[in-house]
Amino acid sequence: MSNYGWTGKILRVNLSNESVSIDDTSKYKEYIGGMGIGYKIMADEVPVGTKAYDPENKLVFAAGPLTGAGIPMSSRTNITGLSPTNPSNLVADSHMGGNFAAMMKFAGYDAIIVEGKASSPVWLNIQDDEVTLESANNVWGTGIYNTTAVINSIAGKEASVAAIGQAGENMVNLSVIMNGTSHSAGGHGGVMGSKNLKAIAIKGTGSVEMAGTGKEWEELNKYMLEELVGANNNHVVPSTPQPWAEYHNERSRWTAREDLYWGAAEPPIETGICAAGDINRIGYRTDKAIFDLGPLAEKYTVRMGGCQSCPIRCHSQIKMPQLKEYGVSEYAENTCVGYSGPNGVMIKGSKDQFEEGDARILPRVLGSQLTDDYGVWCNYGMIGDDFKYAYNNGILKEVLPADEYNSIPWDLLEAGDPAFLVDFYRRIALKEGEFSKLGMGTYWVAKEWNYGDDFWDGAEDGTGSKIWSRLGFPRHHSSETAGQVGATLNCMFNRDAQCHTHVNLTGSGLPIEVQKKVIADVYAIGSEDALDAPNDYTPANEAKAKFAKWSIIRNVLHDSLTLCNWMWPMTASPLKERNYIGDTAIEAKFMNLVTGEDYTEEELDFAAERIFQLHRALTTMQMGSKNMREDHDDICGWVFDKDPDVEAFTAGTNKLDRDDMKLAMTMFYKEMGWDEETGIPTQATLDKFGLNDIADKMSSMGLLA
Amino acid sequence: MEQEKKRFFENEQTRRDFLKFSGKSVGGAIVSLSVLNLIGCAPEEEASAPPVETAVAFALPQGMLVADKAKCTGCQRCESICNALHDGKMQPYTARVRVAENYNYGPDGPKINWANADGNFGNKMMNPETCKQCREPFCGNACPVDAISADPAWNNARVVDTEKCVGCGVCAEACPWHMPRLDPETGKSSKCVSCGACATYCPTDALKVIPWEDIKTAMRRYKRNFA
Repeated sequence: MSNYGWTGKILRVNLSNESVSIDDTSKYKEYIGGMGIGYKIMADEVPVGTKAYDPENKLVFAAGPLTGAGIPMSSRTNITGLSPTNPSNLVADSHMGGNFAAMMKFAGYDAIIVEGKASSPVWLNIQDDEVTLESANNVWGTGIYNTTAVINSIAGKEASVAAIGQAGENMVNLSVIMNGTSHSAGGHGGVMGSKNLKAIAIKGTGSVEMAGTGKEWEELNKYMLEELVGANNNHVVPSTPQPWAEYHNERSRWTAREDLYWGAAEPPIETGICAAGDINRIGYRTDKAIFDLGPLAEKYTVRMGGCQSCPIRCHSQIKMPQLKEYGVSEYAENTCVGYSGPNGVMIKGSKDQFEEGDARILPRVLGSQLTDDYGVWCNYGMIGDDFKYAYNNGILKEVLPADEYNSIPWDLLEAGDPAFLVDFYRRIALKEGEFSKLGMGTYWVAKEWNYGDDFWDGAEDGTGSKIWSRLGFPRHHSSETAGQVGATLNCMFNRDAQCHTHVNLTGSGLPIEVQKKVIADVYAIGSEDALDAPNDYTPANEAKAKFAKWSIIRNVLHDSLTLCNWMWPMTASPLKERNYIGDTAIEAKFMNLVTGEDYTEEELDFAAERIFQLHRALTTMQMGSKNMREDHDDICGWVFDKDPDVEAFTAGTNKLDRDDMKLAMTMFYKEMGWDEETGIPTQATLDKFGLNDIADKMSSMGLLA
Repeated sequence: MEQEKKRFFENEQTRRDFLKFSGKSVGGAIVSLSVLNLIGCAPEEEASAPPVETAVAFALPQGMLVADKAKCTGCQRCESICNALHDGKMQPYTARVRVAENYNYGPDGPKINWANADGNFGNKMMNPETCKQCREPFCGNACPVDAISADPAWNNARVVDTEKCVGCGVCAEACPWHMPRLDPETGKSSKCVSCGACATYCPTDALKVIPWEDIKTAMRRYKRNFA
């Protein structure tokens, strides 16, 4: 195996005996990198039955061969380990962007395996091939921002630091690992805390080598940036009519237009017209401040930020002096659910505090700072729903001691004052009292506080819920996105599905008839029947099963290469002259350029499928399940019971039909080569992917049909 | 841009003439003091020539790279294109336009006021650093083996000849901004040649190659463009 793309080395750190060693990456080549390396290590090294906070659990920070190679949107760190949020502590992966993954590669490592448990708080200091464990006593108990500053003052200003806050230290299930001020990986912060590992700092001065020439690199990047890439989530039409564009769609994240500014930049910078193909304006296409925070945010926008190597700047950076009133910095940065998660905690709504319209900004930017510093995760927005159910149903009054209940500033909550969040997140992060059980995650808090079936299945009218699985995770582009396609893939992971392959196309802004042509052009799908118009669904079919499979496979591929699935794949293009058809083979083109290997897109998809098959097999073993359809893939009732007055498959609703969804799942199992009744990979399928050892293990556990 | 360049060079005619006189082309490499002596151009013998202190024979560059701090979003794609074209490998440590190093806390690293100072953890301000292509380049003047010269192939940018470079690192030390960098893998120094590829591909149009002017003038004119 060449060292093109891959550095060839994996750093193994045993915290129990304070030893480090180097593994050879080449034995994981079939698993590409990132998520693939993570799941393979978990399967090989962590015994079934291990719990998330056991020292025997491991955390694998891994990147792929394209990370560090300057490929657009490639600085993604995949973190794999047993997750404390689901009932069986099933394996899951969390991801973060930022600079960390690229820096890890420059220091010479494709991955870092953290195992064991330190006897007292430590942080890992990686300076190229010098690796040391340092005492973390001086930062333990402090937030991520302070921790990073202190560690950077020791490890060097340029080091990239992935740290946990108080939440992770206290083994709050809902906690993050974060690098930079806003790039967080949700769900594994507590595992890091359980190992007494406060942070990993990396400074790398080495290189990622590539097989192709710089000129070839330039040409392929240029092709992608001119012809394929859109705005955030690869939306390919602008949100307002533009002279260069045939279509526009008000929900598109391609928000750039004349007279829209980064208003707090000095001097203010106009986003302006950002035509497709204009490489020097790609970074202005998406104004995530006004998209996430509303029009008032324009004047508070310093600029957009984002990850190493990515021309799409999807994090908004805000300067809002009013934030100082809440005891936090006036500078804030985040995107999407990093903002909306905390906003969801304001279950009685938010009221304007300083000026008209700031109710839409304040809880989001204040909340993002609190959660990012404490290192609290929102379970993709569920923490607000969990809280809402307990509060509105009087559960909190029953389960909290009176003193504790009375100490909570309910008046702020009722008044819609975002200052409530300051109190809320302190209790969660510091594990203060019974209330902090909200930080255990949906499954556990619902069990502890005995939530009713209506929490899971929705009220009688089917409204008001977004919980997807009784394993405790919410929908994440599920049935509301391409019907059975989104629904199927939302059942396949052990946390919220972090898959954007499907939603990037349905949200692209293109008219449905164009989207259908685009999806029919994908080799693995080949039919317009794969996609229905929004809220106007048709029954399950084979093309949808193929679309669901391809969506997952590409998601897994990206998390292994590692590329950002929030942008990739390049299914659609912003160019009319391409008939808006993108290029789904460009991952393979970049892979071959960087590594010198000779992959087709089919071969890369096959390798990614191996990883997903392993994920499924591992999950089956960890659950000890003989019927994954029943034990794992079950969907909460509201998905089928919402809009009680209309039938599924009528225009205007995205409700699904139970029998049809069963059929959709059967069709999907068939595409995957799984038992069509139980959803468990068959011996033949595992053999096909060279997973014979896994098949043997499953067989000995009596889990193979 | 062409106009500005011309105007600038007109003002520098004396210098150009002197360089021609010394037997080197305008874009020629370093003419060291010993060479000047050899051609009978030592200061004591050539009263009409400029004093030798100002006559270090680096032909003036035509362009210099500047970065707009208000527009830079810290994506570091400039570092990648620089590495791709000049190194054929990715290694931001040696990239000649430098964003990542100042990304977190600005050029000075974390100080007690980090929450309000430059950088991602503070006021979000990026501080991209670029080579100023100095009139009297500290790097070139310090190089003990004359490996850094005004290279006509790069419009007289100050360029490291890696054949000559012995990897001593004096250039990096001498530069007030430490812009030349020794590649730890090759042991060779490298620095910006003002090729402009980073500007060509900057996704927010934050970089550009401007007609050269002395750093003192440029810093006044493009205040926000220097880290």
